Amino acid sequence: MYAGHQVIPQQFWSNGPAPGQFYNFTGGYNGLATGSANQCKEYTTPGLFGTQHSSSPITTGTSVVGIKFDGGVMIAADNLVSYGSLARYQDVQRVFKVNNKTIMGAGGDFADFQSLKRSIDQKIVEDLCHGDDLEMKPKSLYNWLTRVFYNRRSRFNPLWLEMVVGGLDNGEPFLGHVDLRGRAYEDDVVATGFGKHLALPLVREQLVEGKKLTQEQASDVLRKCMEVLYYRDCRSMPKYSVVVCTKDGSVVQGPFNVNENWQLATMVKGY
Amino acid sequence: MNFMGIEQFPDYKVPGTQHQDFSPYESNGGSIVAIAGDDYVVIAADTRLSSGYTIHTRKQNKLFQLSGKTVLGSTGCWCDTLALTALVKARMQMYEHTHLKTMSTDAIAQMLSIIMYNKRFFPYYVSNVLAGLDNEGKGVVYSYDPIGHCERATYRAGGSAGALLQPVLDNQIGFKNMQLDGEIPKVSKDRAVAIATDTFISAAERDIYTGDAVCINIITKDGIEVKEVQLRKD
Amino acid sequence: MSILAYNGGCVVAMRGKDCVAIATDRRFGVQAQTIETDFEKVFQFNPRMFVGLVGLQTDILTVRDRLMFRKNLYETRENREMQPARFAAMLSSFLYEHRFGPYFIEPVIAGLDPKTLEPFICNMDLIGCPNVPDDFVVAGTCGEQLYGMCETLWKPDLEPNQLFEVISQAMINAFDRDAISGWGATVYIIEKDKITVKTLKTRMD
Repeated sequence: MYAGHQVIPQQFWSNGPAPGQFYNFTGGYNGLATGSANQCKEYTTPGLFGTQHSSSPITTGTSVVGIKFDGGVMIAADNLVSYGSLARYQDVQRVFKVNNKTIMGAGGDFADFQSLKRSIDQKIVEDLCHGDDLEMKPKSLYNWLTRVFYNRRSRFNPLWLEMVVGGLDNGEPFLGHVDLRGRAYEDDVVATGFGKHLALPLVREQLVEGKKLTQEQASDVLRKCMEVLYYRDCRSMPKYSVVVCTKDGSVVQGPFNVNENWQLATMVKGY
Repeated sequence: MNFMGIEQFPDYKVPGTQHQDFSPYESNGGSIVAIAGDDYVVIAADTRLSSGYTIHTRKQNKLFQLSGKTVLGSTGCWCDTLALTALVKARMQMYEHTHLKTMSTDAIAQMLSIIMYNKRFFPYYVSNVLAGLDNEGKGVVYSYDPIGHCERATYRAGGSAGALLQPVLDNQIGFKNMQLDGEIPKVSKDRAVAIATDTFISAAERDIYTGDAVCINIITKDGIEVKEVQLRKD
Repeated sequence: MSILAYNGGCVVAMRGKDCVAIATDRRFGVQAQTIETDFEKVFQFNPRMFVGLVGLQTDILTVRDRLMFRKNLYETRENREMQPARFAAMLSSFLYEHRFGPYFIEPVIAGLDPKTLEPFICNMDLIGCPNVPDDFVVAGTCGEQLYGMCETLWKPDLEPNQLFEVISQAMINAFDRDAISGWGATVYIIEKDKITVKTLKTRMD
C-alpha cells in the first residue's frame, strides 16, 4: 500500500476550482482575467500524481473519405458514433460546412472533436463579426489544425482525431488530411481509419492521371466506398452524410442510405 | 522515492495512474541523396509518405527551398519535419528583416543545428540533409542527426534507405576503393544527377519506405532546376 | 544489442554466367573489440560448393561441424556428391529443428550443381526460411549496405572476372560503412573447372 496517503493530506476536492476561485468552464473566456502566461486550454486538472491524459479514444467515429472533383471537393462519413463496440449514437453529423469555401470531416474521439469544434465555431463567429466578407480558407483551417494537433501531441495530451479538410482555396479545390500527431498531407483523395484500406483503392481505381472526376462520378464513387465500408467495417452504419463544396458554396447533403444487399448471406455457410 | 523526508513516489507503480502508451513519434519513411560539385549541388528525395504498410500519399515533396541557393531535405517523423521547416522559415525571415539580406547556406546550416539541439531532450525525429551553394558559389552538403550534430560533406545519403545508398555514393562519387592514377576525378553535374537517380531506383527495390517518384533539385548560380523521375510504386 | 551482431561480419554471394562468387570479411570481434583479422566465415563443403555463416562465432563453428557431419553421412550412404539445392534443404530443416532455441547464424550457400553445373545461390534466416533468387544474396551486420551496393552494381550474365570485380566492390564499400565488419576480405569464384581464391587488402579501421 502506498504510504504517502498518511503523510500528505488528501486534497479537499479535485477536478474543481480552488477555494475562492471560479470554475473554468470549457470554452469559456479565460484570457485576460487570470493574467497567467501559462494558462492553456487543456481542461485537465493535475491530480495527486500528475495529470492523467487520454491514451486511447472512448466515443469514436470511424472512416471519413474525401475526394477532389472538377470544380470542388466532397467529404463523406457515416452518421454513427460508437462507444467501444456499441453502436451508441446513430444520428450524428461527422461532416461539416465550416463556411462557403471550407468543409471538414472528423474521425476518432468524438469528445475531442466537439471540444475542437467549439474553437472552430468561435473562429467562424469572429470572421462574421469582422463583417468584411473575408472567410477562413481551407488551407488556413488545415494549417491551424496542424499546429493545434502538433502542440497537443508535444505535450503528450493528444486530440485523438483524424481530420479531413477540404474546400476551395482561391477557386482551386483543396483537400488535406491531419492526424493526432499533426502529420499532414494534401492529395486528390484522402481517407481515415478503415477507409485508408478499403476506400482509397476504390477511388484510385477511378482516378486517371491528369483527368478530373465530375461531381456526379465523385458522388457515385463515394457511395460505393460507403457501401464497402458498411459491409466490412464493424464500427460503421448504412446511413451517411456528404458535404460538398463548389463555387456555389458549401452544403451538407443527406443522410443517404447505402444499397444494402444481403441476398448473398443465405449462400454463406458456417457462421 | 524519498524527498525531504517524505515518501512521495513509490519506485515503480503508482496506484490509480495508467500506463501512457501514446507515442508522439511515427516513422514516415523517405530517403534523401545530395551531391555537391564545384559550381552546383544536386539534392534528391523520394515522394512517398508512409507509416508501416500504409502509403498515405505518393506525391509528398520532401525538399524545402529555403532560399535561392539553399534546399533542405527532411524525412523521418513527418509532423516534426513540418514543425521544423516552419520554424526554420520563420527564423530566416526574421534574419532577413533584421539584417536586410538573405541567410547564407553556412548560416542556415549552423542555425539548423542550434534549432535541433534546442530540443535535445524531446528531439525532432528527423534526418536532415541541407544542400546549397556557399559564399564562393561552391556546392556544399550538410548532414544532421536528430539532435543537431552537423557535418559538412560533399555527398550524403539520409533517411530510411540511407544505409543502402551511402556506400554506393562512397564508391561512385567518392571513388573509394578504386584504383586511380593520380587525383580524384571531378564529377560532372549530369553524372551527379544520373547517379542520384540510379541510387533511388536501387533503393526502391529493397526499401519499402522509398518509392513512387524521386524529386531532384539542381542548384546552380542560375537558380534551382526541378526534375521528377518515376520510381516503382509497389 | 542483437546476438547476431555480437561478433560482427558479413557474407555475400552472387550469380554470374556459368559461375558463382561468394565473399566474406575477415574480422572476428567481440562487440567493438577486434580479436582476429583472419577469421573467414566461408567454408568449402564440396568441390563446387561453399557455405558462408555469419552471426555468433561459437554457433558458426558448431553449425559448420554439424553440417559437415550430416553432409558426409549423406554422401557415404548415397555414394554421390550432395547437390547445393539438397544441402540447402538439409540446412533449412536442420535450423528449423531448433525453431525455439535457434543457432544465431544466417547462412549463405553458393555453388554449382555437380551434374548440371547450374549456378545456385541461397540464403536463410536463423530458423531456416530459404530464399533462392537468381541475382545475389547477402547476410551479416552490413546487410543493408550490401543490398544497396549489389542492387546498383550487379547485372545478369557477368563473366567470372567481371563478377569478381562487382562482388569485391560491393563487399568492400559496404563494410567500410559498418564498424564491426571488414578488416580484409576473401573472395571465391567458383567455375566448372576451377576455384579462384583471392584475398583483398582493405582499410583496417
